[in-house]
Amino acid sequence: MWSYEKRLQYPVKINKTCPKTAQLIISQYGGPDGELSASMRYLAQRYSMPCKKVGGLLTDIGTEEINHMEIICAMVYQLTKDLTPEQAKTAGFDAYYVDHTTGLWPQAAAGVPFTALEFQSKGDAFADLFEDMAAEQKARTVYENLLRVIDDPDVRAPLKYLRTREIVHFQRFGEALEMTKEKLDTKNFYYFNPEFDKAFLERMP
Amino acid sequence: MNDICCKNETLAMATVPMQTWSQPCAWKTALQIGTIFPCLNLEFFRAEETVPPACCDPKCECKSTGQETAMDEINEISFAINDLTLFLDTHPECQEALTLFRELLSKRLELLEDYASKYNPLTQLSIVTGTPDNNAYSWAEGPLPWEGGHI
Repeated sequence: MWSYEKRLQYPVKINKTCPKTAQLIISQYGGPDGELSASMRYLAQRYSMPCKKVGGLLTDIGTEEINHMEIICAMVYQLTKDLTPEQAKTAGFDAYYVDHTTGLWPQAAAGVPFTALEFQSKGDAFADLFEDMAAEQKARTVYENLLRVIDDPDVRAPLKYLRTREIVHFQRFGEALEMTKEKLDTKNFYYFNPEFDKAFLERMP
Repeated sequence: MNDICCKNETLAMATVPMQTWSQPCAWKTALQIGTIFPCLNLEFFRAEETVPPACCDPKCECKSTGQETAMDEINEISFAINDLTLFLDTHPECQEALTLFRELLSKRLELLEDYASKYNPLTQLSIVTGTPDNNAYSWAEGPLPWEGGHI
């Protein structure tokens, strides 16, 4: 169950129209390492996690990623809401404009539509937690690449905030990995899959 | 290498040290940098400049309204709760974090109630707590969150 709160997790106030910046930032909406992908990844993986606390963490981080998706969408919206047809023609936003005008649609910076193929839910705690840790690192890289090429301080402030969140989430997933390891046999973490071969898990001390 | 690291290290498996509790930074700063924990604020060389929010800049001539200040405080306290929640998810026994968590949750309820009574409700709970005598459909009032500086 989710309930809506009428505010952004981090305020977005962008005054300058810039379709080029919007076209880059939209990758964190619908791109391979974007916030939509992140939220769906964690919220899909949580059901079968063997460690209850990890299921709780995936719920909370998955929820935060939805907040981040809303921040990114607000940025794209504010960067394009006063767009003129002349501006739409320039700076690589023309193709997006033809299909979506200034509506929000999840795609990567290069135009590839959002797809569930970009995340995994493997049904194996270690495989999934390593995917999650890698996902946070990849999203951090995207935010750093954006920070290298975007100058508007109103855009940079939320990007810097979101970059730090990736590092914090990486740390928490690392701690989730440690909590999962504690439930298993240190001599061989791979003897069985704790999400599937549950009978083994019950025998653990 | 400390004992915690050695204890959990085995071949073919990664290890991440568990964070230990440390004093959080000021809530305003925490929202700007993206964490309440100074030890997790690992900067990127292309993002080191600090840009004060428009209305904290001493050279800035604009004055933030009471409503903006109230919204800022809600954002700051709520973010501190978000970050603390993730810490508690992996450190449920940490008493310092738990005490702070409960304190901030109460503070947030008060701020939301106060905001609803003066401006518009941000949560449905604060319709009840902040505007008990208002019979209008106040959930539709106020700006939409993505509209930016239009509060």
